Amino acid sequence: MITVRDLHKWFGDLHVLKGVSLDVKKGEALVIIGPSGSGKSTLLRCINLLIQPDEGDVIIDGVKVNEPKIRPEWVRQQVGMVFQSFNLFTHLTALQNVMIGLTKVKRLPKGEAERIARFELERVGLADKADAYPAQLSGGQQQRVAIARALALNPKAVLFDEPTSALDPEYIREVLDVMTKLAEEGMTMVVVTHEMGFAHNVADRVLFMADGVVVEEGAPEEIFERPKKDRTKAFVGKILG
Amino acid sequence: MGARGILEELSNALEDSPLHRTGIAILSLLALAVLLIMALADARLISLAFMADNASFLLVPALTSVAATMISFAVGILGAIPMGLVRSFGPRLLKQGGLRAVIAAPLYGGVTSYVEAIRGTPALVQIFLVSQVSGIIFPGNPNIPFWGGVLALTLNTLGYQSEVFRAGFQSVNQNQIEAAKAIGMRPRQAFAYVTLPQGIRLITLPLVNEWVGLFKASALLGVIAVPELNWAAGYLGSTRSHPIEAFLMVSAAYLAIIIPLSKAVGYWERTHRIPGLGTPEPGRGRRAGLRRPVPAR
Repeated sequence: MITVRDLHKWFGDLHVLKGVSLDVKKGEALVIIGPSGSGKSTLLRCINLLIQPDEGDVIIDGVKVNEPKIRPEWVRQQVGMVFQSFNLFTHLTALQNVMIGLTKVKRLPKGEAERIARFELERVGLADKADAYPAQLSGGQQQRVAIARALALNPKAVLFDEPTSALDPEYIREVLDVMTKLAEEGMTMVVVTHEMGFAHNVADRVLFMADGVVVEEGAPEEIFERPKKDRTKAFVGKILG
Repeated sequence: MGARGILEELSNALEDSPLHRTGIAILSLLALAVLLIMALADARLISLAFMADNASFLLVPALTSVAATMISFAVGILGAIPMGLVRSFGPRLLKQGGLRAVIAAPLYGGVTSYVEAIRGTPALVQIFLVSQVSGIIFPGNPNIPFWGGVLALTLNTLGYQSEVFRAGFQSVNQNQIEAAKAIGMRPRQAFAYVTLPQGIRLITLPLVNEWVGLFKASALLGVIAVPELNWAAGYLGSTRSHPIEAFLMVSAAYLAIIIPLSKAVGYWERTHRIPGLGTPEPGRGRRAGLRRPVPAR
């Protein structure tokens, strides 16, 4: 579903991605871990072309998308994204946040957009918060609305950029539960996270990145219990305590 | 209930209700004005009869002032939005280089120097300049004072409004734009559906300030023979030799237009406030937290 081949990205002199490759099959959940500054967020943003990669290929569902003739807006409708800081539109209610992509981007009639949006809010357990503004919701609720907003466009895959890092501890569970359910339903997901429990239980594969390269990749238990590389051992040792 | 009780009731009402605060402010102002006029009349400095006789003369000039301001302000908004865009996003395009930078450089340079020129010269000088030029282009046209004045006010408010819009656009959080892109919006859609509606909520009050400033600047149009309020005061004062009455009446007319309008917009802004967006409400937040508990009676 998502293939990345030998991807490079420079920010000025800074070489952030140094030839990253990965492959996510349909229905698979890939978790990316790694120290901060290792290029995880940049990699996610290169997949939906929020950042234009400098070299290499991003292939989504068989189509190379980092091509001048492909509109990045089209790619972003295929691959949804959930941000660390939720990024809900502050001037819109929860329902309007989920609807706006349907009415303005997909140009669906209002009635149908609202039906889909209410269904997606129901799916993340927030049907009763449809008319609340983001500032009236807890962090966990905001992030669930953001997930509903991404799902409403019916994407082929969803990227999660540290979706629980900005949350107070008591709200992390509800967001992870929604994500777990999503993975069980067969959504293709790429998740950058420090939630090792989630990685352990939900991920099909875990990929460890450091300094802009993929250090090691494998099943969760391999990475967490029997890491091969020293850098992986050191990192896993630190986060698992 | 003693005097302290009444004071307490009053201070609670003031803290709780913006409408009450507004009412108190307007009542105090009216009381002051009445006292001043009565004192002046008592000292035989002004004639109340003259004021009563000539009040209706100010109606057309007042409409002229309002019309000139409204037209300039509305046209100004239409021009200020693209100019504010150029001012806020120009530098980023310049950094990107290539064709975009080639297009952006003269635009950004042009708009920036325009804003500096307008803000750095007196409105009065701008009005004289525009009226002289329009007089030469359309010699003898009887509508020139008014429309030349409107043009001058428009050019003036453009410079200030574009800065208000620039500030509004720049204060929209970048993560909002990223979210808009992430659901597949084109840059134009992200602007229309996210930056613009959020930016406008952030600048409602600064825009009202600009309207009030522009309305007061319209008093300068009298110098190019536009029959607006200030001109009318000068006319009444010199032809009927009652200048103090004339300028007092005109002051009252300005206040009678400015205060209800700015209060109405302020009220609209408060009642249509979106939680978490816009300027914090006065009297809320820090001050509300410091409020003394009301003792039980």
